[in-house]
Parts: sequence; C-alpha cells; structure tokens
Amino acid sequence: MLRNAFFVSGLLCVLFLVSGCTVKAVGDPQRPITINAHITLDIKGLEKTALNIEDYVSGESQLETQSTPGE
Amino acid sequence: MKIGLVILFIFSLSVVTTQPLEAAGYSLKEVTPAVQNALDARKKRFDRLADLKVKGMIGENNNGYVSALEKNNAAEQLADEENQNRRVIYKAIAQQNGLGKSVDIIEKVFAQVRRDKAQSGEMIQLETGDWVQKQ
Repeated sequence: MLRNAFFVSGLLCVLFLVSGCTVKAVGDPQRPITINAHITLDIKGLEKTALNIEDYVSGESQLETQSTPGE
Repeated sequence: MKIGLVILFIFSLSVVTTQPLEAAGYSLKEVTPAVQNALDARKKRFDRLADLKVKGMIGENNNGYVSALEKNNAAEQLADEENQNRRVIYKAIAQQNGLGKSVDIIEKVFAQVRRDKAQSGEMIQLETGDWVQKQ
C-alpha cells in the first residue's frame, strides 16, 4: 500500500512538472517577452555614420545627414 | 518557450528591416553650428594629425580618441584639440538619437572604424588595450 502511495505521489509530481513545463513553453501572457533587437541593428547605422564622418573629415566624401541621404 | 522567442525575434527583424536604413539607424540627424565647427576644425587639422600619426607620435586609442605617444607639447596640444572636437560630435549624435548617457557606445564604434581606416604604419590601440602598429 505504501508502495502504491509512493508511486501515485511520484506520478502526480511528474504530471505536475510536465504540466508546469508545458504551460511555460506555451508562454505566459502575464509575462510578455520583449527583445530589444533594434538596439543591435542600429549599430550598423552608427558604423555607417562614423565612416561617413571620417571620410568627410579626410576629404574623401560629402557629409550625409538624416535630411540629405547619400546618392 | 524557445520557439516563441525565435518567432518574436523574426517578427521584430521583419518589422525593422522593412524601414529605410536612414530612418532606423543612429545617425547625425542635424549638423548644429557646434558640430559644424568641430568638423571644420578636424578637417583643417587632418593633414597635421596624419603626419604625426605616420611619425608614431600620435595614435588612435580604443576609446575613439587620439593619444600622444611621446612627450611632445605640440603633439599633446594637437591631440587635446582633436579630442575636444570629437567629443562634441559624439555628444551630438548621442543627444540626437536619444542615447543620452551612452556616449561610450558611440566612442567604441568610432574607434573601430578608425582602426579599420588607419594607414599602414600608424599606431592603433586594440580593444585589449595593446598598442600595435597597423600592418
């Protein structure tokens, strides 16, 4: 009887863990996931800006700003 | 959970990449008088700075500024003036792009660009802090 009790309680624990994992895998609407991907991508824009400024200072090109995109 | 993250990332990527790069990237949005003065001063100083770099008296450090590598008043003064102008430009970019206190990110990006653009023989400081001669 004791053995059966251990088995049932163990089974219940496993079921509880599995269901908990399943719930987390689906996603919890109370915990929205946010990824700031735009910050990583904008480094490329910054590199382009840096290159343009350095080329301008060295006389290799014209300065491009937000209002005067390059050709 | 991992699948959800991947899907969300791909969605974010698709939203960002559909926008023009100029609108999405950090850039010099406005050339203020202070920025223009700094750029003009740097243009005027460029040849002298390049000459001192070739001689090994000034090098590009890993913070986006120049460092005088020898005890030389002229080189140190030129480096100070150049760094002041660069700081004005970095701060302007930070302010115009809402980066505020993140000037260090801009400095690092400029430092990398300068390492890439450095001429052979010029002294550059790597991210590790080591000074090397550009090959």
